[in-house]
Amino acid sequence: MTEREPLKETFAAYARTGDIVLRDQLVAAHMGLAAYLARRFANRGQPLEDLTQVASLGLLKAVDRFDPGLQIEFSTYATTTIVGELKRYLRDKGWAVRAPRRMQELYLNLSQVVDGLGQELGRSPTIAELAAEVEASEEEVLEALEAGQAYRFASLDSPKSDAEGGEPVGESIGEEDQELARAEQRATLAPLLGQLPRRQRQIVHLRFFGGLTQSEIAHRLGISQMQVSRLLARSVAQLRSLAEDSRSQEEA
Amino acid sequence: MTTADEVRLVVPARPEFLRLARVTAAGLAGRMGFSYDEVEDLRLAIDELCFGLTGPTGRHGTVELLYLIDEGSLVVEGQGHFLEDIAPIMLTDLSRVILTALVDEHDLVTGPNGPLFRLLKRRHSNAALAGD
Repeated sequence: MTEREPLKETFAAYARTGDIVLRDQLVAAHMGLAAYLARRFANRGQPLEDLTQVASLGLLKAVDRFDPGLQIEFSTYATTTIVGELKRYLRDKGWAVRAPRRMQELYLNLSQVVDGLGQELGRSPTIAELAAEVEASEEEVLEALEAGQAYRFASLDSPKSDAEGGEPVGESIGEEDQELARAEQRATLAPLLGQLPRRQRQIVHLRFFGGLTQSEIAHRLGISQMQVSRLLARSVAQLRSLAEDSRSQEEA
Repeated sequence: MTTADEVRLVVPARPEFLRLARVTAAGLAGRMGFSYDEVEDLRLAIDELCFGLTGPTGRHGTVELLYLIDEGSLVVEGQGHFLEDIAPIMLTDLSRVILTALVDEHDLVTGPNGPLFRLLKRRHSNAALAGD
């Protein structure tokens, strides 16, 4: 048996059972790859710690999506996913170029503090509590949160792309998507929602149809609340643009 | 006239100015002890309703916002004052779904002076009013 055989077996077992313990084992076994790839992007103005976090998220997605039945090495598959995740992260940081450096740093700091403080308190923190934690004024916190959001886009931001960790539209439809499909049908919004990347559809479904709070969604999906917040704002802006396009086409 | 419990804001009816409406709402909600979750909901809701007034490209005129601070709740009213005739504005299915999830009450109607909206967001979190 080669050194890789046990991992192949673990992948197969994980694909069969979805056991999170197995997933964690697979992630841990490949963390070196994530760290290596993060270091390759370390000269582009973002802290290595953040890049490593992004790469780890990419690794997690790769583990989740990898089909052990395919004739491809996991490391090859994961490298593509992780690099894509890192590039997307750096691209999305484009806003940061326009925001004052202090706001950039504060936003990054807040993205960790929101989750950490939320867990500590057992509820979503107030703005005053966040401000105290990051040693900034409430106004600065609000400014940083606003700067990090994606409320408006100059153009529709490729809703059919694999943006922000979503899978290409049309990938296998899981149980959650079937629930979403039912909710969509009820709201007659299926044509619009169907054009969002999968991750964004999930978040929209959980927040607007499932009634979960942003922090609950973050916990369920294993991402930060700030990511949920950004993806939600982005999704609404995209849905709005899609609705406008749809109306324009109907009127034409 | 502005009292201690009211804040008025008038912005050009263009999407790029809606940031001010969001920041004002977030600032007031933050002062009132709303949680981060609730503040984010409020910002999205304000954006949705204001966008309903301005449309994607904006209109000639202004949007006047009135923020009413009550104990444990924030009411935001928005009135469009447009220098052009526009078709009656109605909430889309999408907006209704979004707003129902985000705020406790919402409405958008066409009044005698133009379109107007109202939303109410209650503070549901158990967070103490730390720092107040």
